[in-house]
Amino acid sequence: MIDRARAGDVAAYESLVRRYQDVALRTAYLVAPEADAADAVQDAFLKAYAALPRFRQGAPLRPWLLRIVANEARNRRRSADRRAGLAMRASIAGPRDDAAPSPESEVIADETRGLLLSALGRLRDEEREVIGARYFLGLSEAETAETLAIPAGTVKSRTSRALGRLRVTLEALDGGPADG
Amino acid sequence: MAEQPLHLRPDAALEDALRGLTEAIAWPTPGPSPAGGPDLAAVVRARIEAGEATGVGAPGRSRWSWRPARRALVVAVIILLALAALAGAAGLGLPGLRIIFGDPAASPTAGGSVSPPEGSPTSSQGTASGPAPTPRPTPSRTPAPGPPGSGLPLGTAIGLDELDAQAGFHVILPSDPAIGPPDSAWIDRSTNDQVTLVWAADGSLPQTSEPGVGLLLTQFRGTVDDGYFSKILGQDTTVELVLVDGGRAYWISGQPHQFFYEGPRGFVEDSRRWVGDVLLWADGPITYRLETSLGREAAIDIAESMR
Repeated sequence: MIDRARAGDVAAYESLVRRYQDVALRTAYLVAPEADAADAVQDAFLKAYAALPRFRQGAPLRPWLLRIVANEARNRRRSADRRAGLAMRASIAGPRDDAAPSPESEVIADETRGLLLSALGRLRDEEREVIGARYFLGLSEAETAETLAIPAGTVKSRTSRALGRLRVTLEALDGGPADG
Repeated sequence: MAEQPLHLRPDAALEDALRGLTEAIAWPTPGPSPAGGPDLAAVVRARIEAGEATGVGAPGRSRWSWRPARRALVVAVIILLALAALAGAAGLGLPGLRIIFGDPAASPTAGGSVSPPEGSPTSSQGTASGPAPTPRPTPSRTPAPGPPGSGLPLGTAIGLDELDAQAGFHVILPSDPAIGPPDSAWIDRSTNDQVTLVWAADGSLPQTSEPGVGLLLTQFRGTVDDGYFSKILGQDTTVELVLVDGGRAYWISGQPHQFFYEGPRGFVEDSRRWVGDVLLWADGPITYRLETSLGREAAIDIAESMR
């Protein structure tokens, strides 16, 4: 499929886009929650198409694509209004109807969800990105490294640091209004 | 027993809580929208085909492949070009379709954006590199007597039962019973044997730019190579790239525009010169032009109903 797309087969590329569009949208949303994710992803897939000849054959496609998506989303991240816009919105309907609730979601109360989202919204961009890539997108450390364009060794340390910051923020939120 | 606060839970529990949060986040989705329409992948494909991904190192340019009519992928409005914002002429380098923007009073070759294939015959007002537009008419005519379409330069009237035989290809018709069969059919032997079906204007088919005419459907043969069409568009005319049965189509609306295309025997200038809102699409070697005042969505619906 990748070879066909590289050869200019647009239908093959469309299939690839369809395969990765969900995770791409989530990546864009994670990186720039305040931006138009669909817009960023469309442009990213156009850039990726143009860049396909530079894609190393045999390399994993997903993180390569997601790196382009993350870049595109990052470019759209507005500096203004950032703090207000960062908290990702929880789905009003909760888990989607078509997906059976995972064991994890069953143990999280609504209140906890809200707290966790608020805390995530207060993390730095790079911390939110690494947590999102690992736990929301389910990317491996290697995929996370490529997607976020950071060294593989940094993923582990940054994740650990981000979790630590998350605890501190959760504690602050749990004990009353945080100061930041 | 009260639940342990999140920040006091062990790493593994905090990680589980994060994973469990995934489903509760209002992630953006790729569509299609509840109202129908293409998903993100289809839009990306259409944008690639519109030439938006061409850059250094882009994959080989694919030929414009008209997909056969199939189940609807419905509408995607991807490009809206406000011509008023364009100064001078600009060409859209789309495979299989060439649309020329600019002031109708100017030569279509202004800016070097038109290059019809060599050997193209030139019209009486044309140039070696393309036809010249003619002044816009004043639309104040009344319907000519006779069946709808009489008085228009559509060629000779033919019977509905002899469409295919006269045209030399299979002429397709809208299957929507609300539209019904055409009120008249014509073949223009002097213009690439193009076939035009005409419906009279009535309560359900508002009049087009032609008096008394509610719907005009033109079908003609042509190749799908580059430089296939040329359209001369004036100010206040917009071009939208849309999908008909998943294939590329163009909705051209606003002020009347002129229409040219490359037929099997050379460059063809439509004898009617100025046409109103149209949907333009192709399937295989045949190109279709639907002229209607019903608007874009209705035009696409009609196009997708054609059998």
